[in-house]
Amino acid sequence: MVGLSVGEKHFIQGGINQNLRSDGRKRDTYRPIFVETGVIPQANGSARIRMGATEVIASVKAELGRPSALQPDKGKVAIFVDCSPVAEPTFEGRGGEDLSTELSVALQRCLLGGKSGAGAGIDLSSLVVAEGKICWDLYIDGLVVSSDGNLLDALGAAIKAALSNTGIPRVHVTAAASGDEQPEVDISDEEFLQFDTSEVPVIVTLTKVGRHYIVDATSEEESQMSSAISVSINRKGHICGLTKRGGAGIDPSVISDMISVAQYISEQLINKLDSEISAAEADEDES
Amino acid sequence: MREIQLSLNQTQKIRLQKALQKLESLHSKVNSDASVTVADTIPISLEDSILKGHGTAERNGEVVATVCGVVERVNMLVYVRSLRSRFKPEIGDIIVGRVVEVAQKRWKLEINFNQDAVLMLSSMNLPDGIQRRRTAVDELNMRNVFEENDVICAEVRNFQNDGSLQLQARSQKYGKLEKGQLLTVPPYLVKRQKQHFHHLVQYGVDLILGCNGFIWVGEHCDARDTVAEEQLNNTEEQNTKSTRVSENVPLETRRNICRVANAVRVLSTLGFSLTLEVILEAFNLSSTLNLGIDEMLVSEFHVLVAEKEAERRSSLTKKKR
Repeated sequence: MVGLSVGEKHFIQGGINQNLRSDGRKRDTYRPIFVETGVIPQANGSARIRMGATEVIASVKAELGRPSALQPDKGKVAIFVDCSPVAEPTFEGRGGEDLSTELSVALQRCLLGGKSGAGAGIDLSSLVVAEGKICWDLYIDGLVVSSDGNLLDALGAAIKAALSNTGIPRVHVTAAASGDEQPEVDISDEEFLQFDTSEVPVIVTLTKVGRHYIVDATSEEESQMSSAISVSINRKGHICGLTKRGGAGIDPSVISDMISVAQYISEQLINKLDSEISAAEADEDES
Repeated sequence: MREIQLSLNQTQKIRLQKALQKLESLHSKVNSDASVTVADTIPISLEDSILKGHGTAERNGEVVATVCGVVERVNMLVYVRSLRSRFKPEIGDIIVGRVVEVAQKRWKLEINFNQDAVLMLSSMNLPDGIQRRRTAVDELNMRNVFEENDVICAEVRNFQNDGSLQLQARSQKYGKLEKGQLLTVPPYLVKRQKQHFHHLVQYGVDLILGCNGFIWVGEHCDARDTVAEEQLNNTEEQNTKSTRVSENVPLETRRNICRVANAVRVLSTLGFSLTLEVILEAFNLSSTLNLGIDEMLVSEFHVLVAEKEAERRSSLTKKKR
């Protein structure tokens, strides 16, 4: 990260106070979002999202596995994020590990709910094949290709796009089994079930700089932040997860205010993302 | 050609390609015979003795280009000038840089080059304006002049032995830049011109096109020299720097600054050379279309700017004829 002079810092903070950021956006405007789906043909679903100079790729791979004993009627989802050294020289070797872990944990919290599986944004019961015996394991991987702030929102949007691009093969259980035996399954190569992503939440990150909060901060603006809250909200306006970053403490009334601002912004973001994802899928079908 | 990083739908792609082809057709007559790619033979007449310069090599008795570019001939010297390359500094270039280190009697600046540039304490005006020998006290007060991460504009004085640059900032127009934003563009987009400091009077904006690809857009400052102001204020207050900086940029000026900065961003994405006319054209185009400032970064505006530029250049060539 390049440092900023005192004059530049004042300029950025003054801009945020006056509701006119360095690239002309208002405090509650996102950068233009570009979505491309189906970028990784070997994966079950994939998407690439670009927000300004931030670029991330998400891919979904599905494998058959055994459901956990505690939740035999639910499939399993694992989310991992990798920060590529292409994005920042400091990510080389183990440098990007801290950020990767932080992003993975935040995404798991926002999209998968608690340890018991309650409150998950992704419907895990649709992943089960034979209850207690076979279920689909989804491995969701995120790759940060270029980092210019607001990685969490971009990854959340990329995962949503990748999930809507995901086709899970149809499975026929050929032989019923009793007890502990594994039933035989026939995985179809032709038929695919599209994953239902209408319930998948989006993540909105509000960065607090001075007395105001901004959405979709660039890395320059993030260097000035005192704290940031990431809220994952679904289409109904319900909160699926909440993460706070940053060293400064926030008054609880401010948090409530930030959450309502995030709810308001998330409506526009969900509509924008849905239209971009359908446009990207239409493009992919054509080519 | 390196692809332009924009998401365009079908019609926008077609329009952009048409505009770029039109621009190419206006210029191809001049240079097409002189442009070469790697391993092309450079036509030379065998009787002249020639010196093989940069970007050439001898292979099988022929002179062959090793980079993609344009062949230049100067007397006996034949060399290939590449179109996209790292910043190639020359003496007298205006540079915008960022201080990375305050060292003994000098500042080290990062200027988008393969080495940091050096600004000697003796190449900088002293706060009290007197021409005198720099003492140890001056050396200890270097941080009051420029600190780490400050943005400075200066001029190239000469090259040092190891190839790094030595800068000087003795004139009133050089010095610390505050109240604005710094943009980075590929250095080959900023060609050497007569004027690199542009003061856009009707908008109150300073635009400095550094030859190294750093572009400064900020509020207009009359005397950039820290001298006079510190003289006046030192007798009254202690923290002159912070009071000066913390005055807020007025909203109208800030709008103009952001609009100019976005115009530069659009032109740099499209790969057009940055000159004052082109930047003002993009600025006026966005104002006449009543676009919000952030709407300038949408793909549609990029295509419109490309089309406008093609029109402007074709009308210029028609006027010349």
